[in-house]
Amino acid sequence: MASSIALLHSRPLGSFKRIAQILPGLLLLAAVGYAGKSLERSFAAFGKAHHLTLPNIEYVLWAIVIGLVIANTTGVPASFKPGVATYEFWLKAGIVLLGSRFLLGDVLKLGGISLVLVAIEIALSLLFMTALGRAFGLKPKLTTLLAVGSSICGVSAIIATKGAIDADDEDSSFAIAAILALGAIALFIFPLVGHWLGMSDQAYGLWAGLGIDNTAEVTAAGALYSDAAAKVAVLAKTARNAMIGFVVLGYALHWARKEGTEGVANKAAFLWAKFPKFVLGFLVISAVATAHVFSKDQLTSLANLSRWAFLLTFAGVGLRTNIAEMRKQGLRPFVVGALGEVAIAFLTLGLVFGAEKLLR
Amino acid sequence: MTHQHDSRTKKENRAAPKFSLDAWAVTLALVLSILVWIGWIKHIPW
Repeated sequence: MASSIALLHSRPLGSFKRIAQILPGLLLLAAVGYAGKSLERSFAAFGKAHHLTLPNIEYVLWAIVIGLVIANTTGVPASFKPGVATYEFWLKAGIVLLGSRFLLGDVLKLGGISLVLVAIEIALSLLFMTALGRAFGLKPKLTTLLAVGSSICGVSAIIATKGAIDADDEDSSFAIAAILALGAIALFIFPLVGHWLGMSDQAYGLWAGLGIDNTAEVTAAGALYSDAAAKVAVLAKTARNAMIGFVVLGYALHWARKEGTEGVANKAAFLWAKFPKFVLGFLVISAVATAHVFSKDQLTSLANLSRWAFLLTFAGVGLRTNIAEMRKQGLRPFVVGALGEVAIAFLTLGLVFGAEKLLR
Repeated sequence: MTHQHDSRTKKENRAAPKFSLDAWAVTLALVLSILVWIGWIKHIPW
C-alpha cells in the first residue's frame, strides 16, 4: 500500500510516466481477476457437463489463489509491483461505489451497532495485545504497532501509527508482515467457521468486519461467504476504519508524554488528516442512492462497477502475499499476532452473537 | 540558516501530497457515479 501511495504522490514524475509505471501491474491485476472469474464459470460448467457435484468455488477464491501461486512461484517482477500495489486504491473506490447498495437508514442502524461493537472490540483488543506483547518481551513500539494493526485496520493503521509514534522501520515491517500473514489465514478460516456455525449473512458479515484486520481481506472473506455478507462486512469494517484517527491520536499523545517529545499541537487537524476519506464518499453515495437519484438499472451498473473494482483488489491480495518474505520476519511477532487474532476472533464472535437480537 | 530553512520548507511543500490515495479513490467513484447518472455510461455488465 505504501508504494501505491508513494506512486500517487510522486510529483516530479510526469503523468504519462506514472501511468506507464502502473500499467503492467494493473494489467496483471485485471488478467488474474478475470482469470478467476472465468475459472468460476468454467469449473461450474465442467461439473454440469460431466454430471459431477462440484463445490461452487467463487471467483474471489480463484483470483486470490492464482495471485498466491504467481507471487510464491515465479514471483511478481519489479516492473509489475507499482501497478499491483494499486489494489488498495481499487478497494477504496469499490467501497465508495458499494455505498449505492445501502439505504442511509440501514447504514446508520447497522453502522451504529457496528460502532458500539467496534468501540468494545478496540478497547479489549488493545489491552489484550499490549499484555501479550509484554509477556513475550516484544519491544514496546512493536507491541503498539501490532495492537493497533490487529484492533483497527491492519496495514493502514500501522503506517499511520508508525509516523505518529516515530517507530522503527524494522518494527513496522515486522508488524505489517505479521498482520498480512494473519489476514491471509483468517480469509480462509472465517468462512469455514461461519458455515460450520451456520451463521446468518448479517451475523457473519459483522463478525468478519470486526475480526479480520485488513479491509481487502475483510471484503474477500465476506464475498467468499455471500454477497449479502460482503456488504455487511464492508460496512462494519468501514465503521472500524473510521476510528483510526482517535486511536492513533491516543498513541501519539501517550508516546510523546513517555518520551518527553512534542505532542500533537492541533488535535482536530490530526484527526482529520488520519480520517479515512473514503468513509465520507461511501456515505455520500449512500445518501444519493437513498434519495432515489439513480434508476434501478443505474444502481445495477454502480454495483457492477464496485464488483470490478473488488475483482482487482482480490487479485492484488493474492499477488502481494509472499510467504517466503513473511517467514523471514521471525516467529515471535507472528505468534503474538496469532494469539491476539484468535482471542479477537472469539471476542468478536461473542459480541456478534450478543448483538444478533438487535439486528433482527 | 534562513536560506537553508526556506529551501527545506520549499522542498517539504513540494513533497506534500495535494490529494491522498483515499481522495483519489473517492473522486474516481464519484465521477463514475455521475457518468452513470447522466447516462454517459449506459450499462456495466458483470
